[in-house]
Amino acid sequence: MEQTPRKEGSDDIVAPEPPAAPPPEDPAPAMRPEDEALVAERLRELGYIE
Amino acid sequence: MQEKPNIILITADSLRANHLGCYQYPLPTSPHIDKLACEGVLCENMFAPGIPTQPSHTTIFTGQHPVTHGVVAHGGKARLTRGSPWLPEILYEEGYTTCAVDTLFRERIWFGRGYEYILDPSLRHMFYASVTQEELNDRAIHWIKTVPKGPFFMFIHYWDVHYPYVPPERMRGLFYDGNNPTDPDNHELDEWWHHPIGAMARDTWLRTSNGLIRDPRYVTALYDREIRYLDEGMAALRETLEQQGMAENTIIWLLADHGESMTDHRICYDHYGLYDCTVRVPTVVHWPAGKLKAGSRLAPFRQLSDVAPTLLEATGTLIPEEVEGRSFLQQLQGQEEPSGYDRVIGLESTWQAKYYLRNSRYKFILARQPDLLGNPDRELYDLAADPGEDHNIAAAEPQLAAAMETELEGWLADKLQALGKTKDPVKEEGAVAESIWAGHRS
Repeated sequence: MEQTPRKEGSDDIVAPEPPAAPPPEDPAPAMRPEDEALVAERLRELGYIE
Repeated sequence: MQEKPNIILITADSLRANHLGCYQYPLPTSPHIDKLACEGVLCENMFAPGIPTQPSHTTIFTGQHPVTHGVVAHGGKARLTRGSPWLPEILYEEGYTTCAVDTLFRERIWFGRGYEYILDPSLRHMFYASVTQEELNDRAIHWIKTVPKGPFFMFIHYWDVHYPYVPPERMRGLFYDGNNPTDPDNHELDEWWHHPIGAMARDTWLRTSNGLIRDPRYVTALYDREIRYLDEGMAALRETLEQQGMAENTIIWLLADHGESMTDHRICYDHYGLYDCTVRVPTVVHWPAGKLKAGSRLAPFRQLSDVAPTLLEATGTLIPEEVEGRSFLQQLQGQEEPSGYDRVIGLESTWQAKYYLRNSRYKFILARQPDLLGNPDRELYDLAADPGEDHNIAAAEPQLAAAMETELEGWLADKLQALGKTKDPVKEEGAVAESIWAGHRS
């Protein structure tokens, strides 16, 4: 993982791509339809959405 | 070329300034935004005078402080009055074709004011903030290619960086160097589960086939991946403008309504608390035909209420006197020496009911009611010695704290009197979501 400060916005900077073979311990969370429904329900309770 | 510029105003909800390369973040989250900043102008000290989303966006579009427009809480009782100035409406009346690629009108009706077109692909989702930059851009790019016959104003509101942080699968492996995000012995996020937003995360998007995500470094990596994903969308948008021959005379104004706490100040992955991580927001302005001083960085304090008047001046439109913000177009163009405010006063009234007063050296935070994190009602930070706002010196510097409190209360009293109001809007709304949080903890 790159940790060194870098120049800003220069054309010669190529941001690294994600690894071709992601590490197996990276679980990659996802929103299932039932998750979306639950999030919407909870935020509606909070008054965040109507 | 048409005389008046096109405008694409972009808010990246919850985008924390110092997680972008152009704001010195060490990880490569934002190569295209960094390039945009390099070719345009960046504001180093843009502040949100009201957080979170609804108060802040209302300030962006009215050019008014939240005490003036009255929308101090997200999900509060206050409604924007019909007579308030509203940027899209003013531009529409000036002959602009106006388009929102946004969902905010589903929260509060005034966010739909002034738009001839509203494009909302989030209808395909159970939860509208799950809409992705690709879905929004798909509609925005099609519209840019096919609809406008004259100058247009487009507002795009991206939700990717707002929780839940669920970046595309292809981002896996980026920005995380730990070895077990779901380690059951990691309890660093346990306090978050006692907050309704944390509990919601635990019950939904943090549940994976490997188990519950418990490592905050991994959650931060997810947030950074979302920024990288958003950054790709910025590149796609710019490519479209180039292809259409519109890049030269289109203002791209990228900003955030507020930042994100990560785990600072015991506020996990949310946007309350009046610390700089949340109230200091990124701002990049790009306009090749506008003779901006490319590559410059403006250090003076600005506020989100300055966005609307600056855009109105850029279009040659008279700025209504009800707009309180100040245009800084001449500074973006390098025609005036950079200058700004000596102080910024802001507020929140959602999870907490507080005000802040920030000057170049100190930040003072005043609570209107005790918060649920157990913070003292008065906080004072020396930003020169303590930029992270970790050491409250209110007790050690009582005279300074008292002086800043007097200054804040004096400003508020004068403001309310000028507006013909009698009640402090933060006291009136209170912390609107706090009772649910309190109930959740009990």
